[in-house]
Amino acid sequence: MAEKPREIIKRNLFTDNQVLRQILGICSSLAVTNTMRNSLVMGIGLSFVTALSSLTLSAMRNIIPHRIRMLVQTLVIAAYVIFLDLLLKAYLPDISKQLGPYVGLIITNCIIMGRAEAYAQQNPPVAAMLDGLFAGLGYTLVLMIISLIREVMGFGSVFGINVNFLNLQTWTIMIMPPAAFFIIGGLIWGLTARAQRRARKEGKA
Amino acid sequence: MKRGYLYTVLFMVVLSAVFTFALAASYEGFKPAIEQNAALQQERAVLYAFGLEEGLSDDEATRKYDEVIRDGGLNGMEVPVYEESGQVMGYALPFEGAGLWGTIRGYLGLNAALNQATGLVFTEQNETPGLGGRIEEPQYKEQFRGLPITKGIPIRYGDNQGEQLDAVTGATQTSSAMLRILNNALDGVFAGEVD
Repeated sequence: MAEKPREIIKRNLFTDNQVLRQILGICSSLAVTNTMRNSLVMGIGLSFVTALSSLTLSAMRNIIPHRIRMLVQTLVIAAYVIFLDLLLKAYLPDISKQLGPYVGLIITNCIIMGRAEAYAQQNPPVAAMLDGLFAGLGYTLVLMIISLIREVMGFGSVFGINVNFLNLQTWTIMIMPPAAFFIIGGLIWGLTARAQRRARKEGKA
Repeated sequence: MKRGYLYTVLFMVVLSAVFTFALAASYEGFKPAIEQNAALQQERAVLYAFGLEEGLSDDEATRKYDEVIRDGGLNGMEVPVYEESGQVMGYALPFEGAGLWGTIRGYLGLNAALNQATGLVFTEQNETPGLGGRIEEPQYKEQFRGLPITKGIPIRYGDNQGEQLDAVTGATQTSSAMLRILNNALDGVFAGEVD
């Protein structure tokens, strides 16, 4: 009955990607994607929280009273986010300073609660943890693509390393959140078009 | 299985207690590292304002700080003072004010005669990354090394008492806020002057 790990990975990274197919976690995809470093840390942080909260909630799924399950989900998620914030402050102070309020905002990221509601509630702990982890990595993947485009065009660099050898004019709009709107829109369009094409082909065959 | 209200309430209470305890424990565990990072950041900031920070490792920075910086006063304000062999070399004037999005805090290093800035450093700012946030970049900050300061003449962009001072392109609000904050801080220094 349980989904195979390979299916969980494929579903979360591609076919049912949280950002591009479920349209969740858009807020932070706009906010932190102007440099690749921020995106990577944000993505890893989110993956960490989603994996652990899904694991915990799934382990408790049979004893959580149904009518307060959302309270419990929020409590567990908040606890892990605060833990992550402390961890960053203690060991990666520079990144903690740069991400600033965004770390706390992981709590409100719909992906985590979405996974808890949609998956961890009905599935065994290990599968739930894998699902959470790869939902987070799928989000990271999209963030990295967006920030690659934005950082190259906006700053002329990749991970802070200058690649603008011809000294071309950088685009200020790419640094601003609206740029991410266009990029995400383009990606969603591409992916949806592909899925539709595939569905049509299968329908004919 | 149907469960009563009592179970629901007890469940939430126990769960909250467990998680609160776990978080409190981990906070205690991380506290020394977090406090050390905060102190180090502060020390590096003050050293940077005097142009003493470059190339120092964390340990060297702490040692240098202990060696040349002491708590002192400047016209009634408590500020970090830079001293070398008993001679006051400069003051790190703390500033604080509203930027475009949040509070901007930092230090403006001043020489002993209070007629020249030695450097500008930020300890906190939440300006737009890539625009106002670029006040953190050397291009902006380094302009303040050796910038002439005169009592009663505010710092301004363009020709500032014979030295060129540039705002950050595309970040007019943040740039103007910086001048307001710095001039406020300087007014505070000169207002407290006894002569």
